[in-house]
Amino acid sequence: MIDLVLAGPDRLAPYLLLAAALFSLGVFACVTRRNAVGYLMGIELMLNAANLNMVAYGRFRTELLAGHAQVATLFVIALAAAEAAVALALVYAIFRNIRDVDLDKIRSLNGE
Amino acid sequence: MNVNPATSALIGLFLPLAVSVLGAFTWRRLGKTLDLLSVGVALVGAVATGIGAWTLGQSGTVVSVSFPWLWFPGTGIAFELGLHLDALSAMMLFVVQALGFLVLVFSRWYLHDDRFYGRFFASFSFFVFAMSGVVVAPGLLQAFICWELVGLGSYFLIGYWHDKPEASEDPEYQAGKPWYATGLIESKLSPSSAQFKAFVVNRVGDFGFLSGLALCAWVVGTWSGFQGGDPLAWKTLFGAVADGAFAQASFLGWSGMALLTLAGLLVFLGAMGKSAQFPLHVWLPDAMQGPTTASAIIHAATMVAAGVFLTARIYPMLTPEALVAIQWVGGITAFVAATIACVQWDFKAVLAYSTISQLGYMMLGLGAGAAAGGYAAGVSHLFTHAVFKCMLFLGAAAVIHGLHGVQDLNRMGGLAKKMPLTAIATGIGTLAILGVPGFSAFWSKDMILAAANAKVAIAASSGMPVWSSMVPWILGLGTAGLTAFYMSRQWFLAFLGKPRDHHLVDHAHDPDKPSVAVLLLLALLSFQFVWTGSVNPAQAGSWFSGLLAAPVAGLNASLGHALPEGVLHHIHLSTMLSSVALVALGVAAAWLLYLNLASVRHRTAEWLRRDVPTNLVWKFLANLWFIDKAYDFLFVEGLGRRGGKAVAKTDMGGTISLDRAIDQAAGLSGWAGRFANLFQSGRSGAYAGWTSLAVFGALALVLLYSK
Repeated sequence: MIDLVLAGPDRLAPYLLLAAALFSLGVFACVTRRNAVGYLMGIELMLNAANLNMVAYGRFRTELLAGHAQVATLFVIALAAAEAAVALALVYAIFRNIRDVDLDKIRSLNGE
Repeated sequence: MNVNPATSALIGLFLPLAVSVLGAFTWRRLGKTLDLLSVGVALVGAVATGIGAWTLGQSGTVVSVSFPWLWFPGTGIAFELGLHLDALSAMMLFVVQALGFLVLVFSRWYLHDDRFYGRFFASFSFFVFAMSGVVVAPGLLQAFICWELVGLGSYFLIGYWHDKPEASEDPEYQAGKPWYATGLIESKLSPSSAQFKAFVVNRVGDFGFLSGLALCAWVVGTWSGFQGGDPLAWKTLFGAVADGAFAQASFLGWSGMALLTLAGLLVFLGAMGKSAQFPLHVWLPDAMQGPTTASAIIHAATMVAAGVFLTARIYPMLTPEALVAIQWVGGITAFVAATIACVQWDFKAVLAYSTISQLGYMMLGLGAGAAAGGYAAGVSHLFTHAVFKCMLFLGAAAVIHGLHGVQDLNRMGGLAKKMPLTAIATGIGTLAILGVPGFSAFWSKDMILAAANAKVAIAASSGMPVWSSMVPWILGLGTAGLTAFYMSRQWFLAFLGKPRDHHLVDHAHDPDKPSVAVLLLLALLSFQFVWTGSVNPAQAGSWFSGLLAAPVAGLNASLGHALPEGVLHHIHLSTMLSSVALVALGVAAAWLLYLNLASVRHRTAEWLRRDVPTNLVWKFLANLWFIDKAYDFLFVEGLGRRGGKAVAKTDMGGTISLDRAIDQAAGLSGWAGRFANLFQSGRSGAYAGWTSLAVFGALALVLLYSK
């Protein structure tokens, strides 16, 4: 059974499993990390899990996606790069203000 | 030169709007440039719309351009915005723009050292834009939208000195020191309360307008064989009326014609609000709290003219029954306001009530019906009144500025020597509003009275009760005498006689040259020959009536009951003679009481104090017929405060009181807020967790139930 899943003629499933694992790790990082940089890394993990998912479908389910998946993935990579640049700039700006990147300490909008 | 009237109207609409938008953000910094900009723009608009009106008058056509704007899919209804320019709207547009320009020129002098200088020009331009939008509206919906914008513009202008307290509680005003206190009426509301009052009172009227609009749309859409498009466009609306589609209709026991009467009266309720008709006139005297030049435009061409204009505009859909109601409202308004004006001691308050009274005249004329000549009369009076009332208010601004904010007629007197040009101009304006032969209102007011008289003959011949048109006519005639009394009283008290406050009057002076030029130009336009093209005061026909001939002929054809020319002429002559006699009587009374014989005046005052019945009359008038007080008692104090408390404490069935129900509703939403607050911890990790949970939960549901 395991052999069939991992090494059968249709090898989509291993990629999906890996992507799911990566995504879960990303969510886990976002939920538990209090460090802003760790949080960002979690987001990157989730984005790339989604990328992996799309590329795998694009490779093994061509009748469904016909090459669109790769294009979409390229877009996501570009967007992720932009997002990382903006987010790191924000983190840096926050750090300059409060000398910390602990997300729990950034709560001045809370009105307290 | 030929300019497409539509293009000129667009210039007149959107240039002022651009100025006001620019000014809204920059008036503090641009102050002194903004005034030149808005004056320039107003000049361009006035010239353009003037040429447009001229072109339209030459060709005698109607320009109508509109585009669908608000669709209701599946119903075929698409409300339209656009332009509808005929003789009436093109002329009105020109008058709005031209008077706007003149008032702006005057305001540059009047407000020159005001704190909010630039803001006046921005608000004013917005006001002109809004009114132009009403005038050119191609249907009821655009008229309503711009109508509300006019209300907003008046709100800006009335509350212009928004931080001033009531004049009676303002030490600066009492001392008469910084002259920006000018324009406030003593013993009235503060500017911010006045602007609020104007807005709220107009809400009552606008409620009627909106209901009438909805009723029109529904009735036209249901019964007229409506093919799609804008049911509220003039063409569709009046076409449906002319087709007689309503005659067969009925709804819940109402015949179609009754519904049409109701729709017309509901829209007219809106006109009553804007045009300050009894009993919705109470906002107008308080609106004097704005700068006097703002009052000049509000009372001449924009705000109060909007109601009369709208009534003239929807004329084809007004049934004879609706017209009777309109005539009564007009007659009562004219008379009530004129009586109140007789006992006012504030320079501006006299003018305020005279405006209400004159607006009543216009409605009285319109209500007489097109067949009696009432349509042409009411519209003519709208225009002539716009010119001389604008000038009277600018004259008032000159007087008030000259006296450093004092408006009390008791402290004036003998101003003619100090400000001769202002005295001459306002004197001509006073003669005009009196209806003295040779001046503009003689021609237009006389037409109104003749029309009201002709209406009596028509009513008699068509089986309507005669008193239904007799009463408004008598009220109109009486108002002519009262007008003569209070207007000449004001002019005598301010400009003639001996100064009663030398210290004050000695420093008065005429305004600067451009402002005097504005006054004199408007004074020139208050002569009758400008309007009739003839120096013969008995000449009734004119180039102006000629412009209105086509619409009037259309109205006559649709309503019937045209009066033979000979009868009309006979009525005209008798009305003219009686109104001139009444005017002479009024002027003589004012002369005797307030100017010529001081001893007579004292004796009369004594007598007024002693003689109880007369005294009661005087008190009744000085309290404005107790209308404002009644509103205060009924609505502000009664319904608002006590009623609110009473309802809150009412126990409904022992278990649920309204008070407790509201408390519980508040408690429930408080509880919901606290619950939602649980998730708002401020920790981004928690947000990510909740979001993921929600997504996974949704996914799980989809997977479970998608089979």
